[in-house]
Amino acid sequence: MPRDSERPRHTGRFLRLGALLAGIAVALSFPSMAPSPYELTVGIAILNFAVLSTSWNFVGGFTGYISLGHGAFAGLGAYATGLLVTKGELPSFVALFVAAALVAVLAIPVGYAALRVRGASFVIVSIALVLIMLLVFQSWASFTGGSRGLVVPRPFPGKLRSEHHEIFYFLFLGLLALALLAWWIIDRSRFGMGLKAIREDEDKAQSLGTPTYTYKLVVFVVSAAFTALAGGLYGLWFGDLDPVFQFSILSGAYMVLMALLGGVRHLYGPLLGAVIVGYGLEYSKLEYGDTPLHLVFAGLLLGVVVMFMPDGVIPAATALIARVRGTGETSIRELTAAELRDERDEREADVRPDHRPDGKRPDGKRDGKREVRQ
Amino acid sequence: MPSASLVFQSIVLGVLLGGLYALLAAGLTLYFGVMRVVMIAHSAFLILAAYLAWYAHRETGVDPLLTLLVTVPLFFVAGVAMQRLLLTRLRPATLTMMSVLLTFSVALVIEGLLGYAFSGTQRRIRLNYSSASLEFFGARVAVVKLIAFGLAAAALLGLYLLMRHSRFGQALRATIQHREAAALVGIDTDRIAGYGFGLGLATAAVGGTALSLDSTIYPSLHWHWIGPLMAIIVVGGLGSVPGAAIAAMALGLTQSLLQLELSTTWAQTVFYVALFATLAVRPQGFFGGRLAQRF
Repeated sequence: MPRDSERPRHTGRFLRLGALLAGIAVALSFPSMAPSPYELTVGIAILNFAVLSTSWNFVGGFTGYISLGHGAFAGLGAYATGLLVTKGELPSFVALFVAAALVAVLAIPVGYAALRVRGASFVIVSIALVLIMLLVFQSWASFTGGSRGLVVPRPFPGKLRSEHHEIFYFLFLGLLALALLAWWIIDRSRFGMGLKAIREDEDKAQSLGTPTYTYKLVVFVVSAAFTALAGGLYGLWFGDLDPVFQFSILSGAYMVLMALLGGVRHLYGPLLGAVIVGYGLEYSKLEYGDTPLHLVFAGLLLGVVVMFMPDGVIPAATALIARVRGTGETSIRELTAAELRDERDEREADVRPDHRPDGKRPDGKRDGKREVRQ
Repeated sequence: MPSASLVFQSIVLGVLLGGLYALLAAGLTLYFGVMRVVMIAHSAFLILAAYLAWYAHRETGVDPLLTLLVTVPLFFVAGVAMQRLLLTRLRPATLTMMSVLLTFSVALVIEGLLGYAFSGTQRRIRLNYSSASLEFFGARVAVVKLIAFGLAAAALLGLYLLMRHSRFGQALRATIQHREAAALVGIDTDRIAGYGFGLGLATAAVGGTALSLDSTIYPSLHWHWIGPLMAIIVVGGLGSVPGAAIAAMALGLTQSLLQLELSTTWAQTVFYVALFATLAVRPQGFFGGRLAQRF
């Protein structure tokens, strides 16, 4: 039995490594393959989306708290970077990191208030955060430029436009790699385990001694910092900020949509979602131009994802593959209580006929700590 | 320092505005009560009703108030359909979170379609009584604002009487209080919850028509409304109708008074300040328990 179930896991690992290497190769060679600067800008936009939704997924994926207001952190990152460059006269990339640090500090009191409540109230707070930022940045025109916009000077003034795009493509790619790596590390850590326990059952996690509130706050701040980095980099690349676009609920909703579509429990889920949604948005903007139909598309897509595949494309696809292959993945929530009971019954049936007190199973393997209920 | 008459004027306007807020927040509270749903699309339906009133007036010249005869039943049916066809199909474990996203997507679709049908141009209904105003103890109050308040007050009163003194209201309150127990005594809770949802959406029809009387409307206006409304229901205590009404009045008044000294935009931040203060000090809300299920 164990031999058979290990084989697909091995091939799975090879496949995964191969896919990863192929993905990296495609991502690295994209600028030289892109037929025109326009495609390159689409690539940058998609990478920006990917960083944003991966950053969002630090909170959404691990803890299950759905924030519709992460657009506020992206906008703050962009504005803080821009203002530090123009008013603080800091070098562009120093400003970027200072801005991210500032946003992280700001995220502490925001998280303090928002994470005190669960579910519905948290989402409301996150929405309010974007709206309040929009109000402030529009009204405080003397400092932020208001609706006239804020022009952020380019970090590489001597470069041609296409060279500029290419540099930023790789900067976004690097930031994406950093965000994915951070998510991967947390995913495997004790900290990540605690966060996932919050997602599954916050009260139980707390009663088992997980410092749930601290964990939530820490991951919220990390998420905000990455979101701010993405926003700041976008500000440096795009060079022109307007409160209406920087502090839009829509951008926060896109992050959620992308992460959910790909799958919030998976490292590459938000990235996959960003490729699908980012490409779709660019396409619909190209086709339908000035009409607000892209809102309708985004709305319908979000509705379909929520209704029919709330776990995302990756779990749906792996479940399909597993069904074809006849193997199933096992993890906490993937099994229903009924399936768990069946599994336990099966195990009991396995053990019972000659149950030995030394914990050895009939097939000679040690049963470990596994308990067999009598 | 503004003069006393100006302050009085602001108070009157604040009360009128608070009435409208109270009506809309009551709708949001109903959804939360019957389904544990935070209905982001409520204000999108509000704008939809306002557009329908404007469109009917432009095409046929009828008084916007007459469109209520169509929009109220229409929105009621839409609400029942939304609850039966969409919200009940979500997984119970993640219902609250996912319902936010689902209703958000409905809001996006409504905004997109309104923008597609009527463009992003700002619209306004011109009525022959649009500019009329009444003198009220030295305060000048536009007639349309009084009509809007009257509509809101009548709808709230109707809602109250329905909830308190009808069999349906009794069943609805029972469903809100304890769904399983209500089902045990023979109430068809699914159907009642659907009607409750429809009732909530019907309040958006009334509110939207009231709004169309004296506001300039455009498709993305609903974002402007959703923030204050959400703040009101959190401050009032999610699920508590009296809490929502008190919070709506208090915040509407404060906003109106702040406008004397601050610009309109800055005055609006009072909702968000109140929201964050509530969460920091009393997360369950000021005028009701966290899940206060009273009506």
